[in-house]
Amino acid sequence: MLPLARNARLQVRSNQQTMKRASDFHDKYGNAILASGSIFCITVWTYTATQVGIEWNLSPVGRVTLKEWRDQ
Amino acid sequence: MFSRAARSWVLRTTGGGLGTRGTHSPGGSARSQGKMAPYYTNHYAQRSYPMPDEPYCTELTAEQQALKEKEKGSWAQLSQEEKVALYRLQFRESFAEMNRRSSEWKTVMGCVFFFIGLTGLLIWWQRVYVFPEKPVTLTDERKAQQLQRLLDMKSNPVQGLASRWDYERKEWKK
Repeated sequence: MLPLARNARLQVRSNQQTMKRASDFHDKYGNAILASGSIFCITVWTYTATQVGIEWNLSPVGRVTLKEWRDQ
Repeated sequence: MFSRAARSWVLRTTGGGLGTRGTHSPGGSARSQGKMAPYYTNHYAQRSYPMPDEPYCTELTAEQQALKEKEKGSWAQLSQEEKVALYRLQFRESFAEMNRRSSEWKTVMGCVFFFIGLTGLLIWWQRVYVFPEKPVTLTDERKAQQLQRLLDMKSNPVQGLASRWDYERKEWKK
């Protein structure tokens, strides 16, 4: 019981020390970089995929209405 | 065993010039000035190298030296704080500290997405300045007509295109 308590006190002390560690670049800016990077990526690719005139040639099944092709 | 001897031999003979680490802020009283050993042979403790040859603090105050003397006696007489202080003299970080999580992945993934976004811009530029004229067969009208022709021919009627078309109701199968 006693050694366990001793370990707990050591653990608590090291916990206090880790919580006081200085925040690094990633702690300060990581969230902002992640958010802005993903928003930029999603915006650019949504625009590029839909508005720029790239032909994806998706399957007509369930999507395309037929049109008569024979010259009468 | 042999590698430790080799390492200390390298330390003694190579002498001058800082290693590849350069000025990577050792912090505190990490290395005494006289010892210009290459860093890679005497790293801070890590999970893969938990017992470096040299202690973290080599320049000790009088109080710390007294503590080292006390360490030579029975360890039972050391208080908890003294034990922790001795640990801190020997090692830069505890295992809990060196194994702590970091937010580095956020920066990494953010930059990954940024460069993927740049690639999207690149492809946009390519569409405008590099792609050839879109063939007339790829306009919506022509594609609708081609589709009608394919269905008239009953192309791939078993599992493919024509099998998805309901010829009675003249609509796509649900």
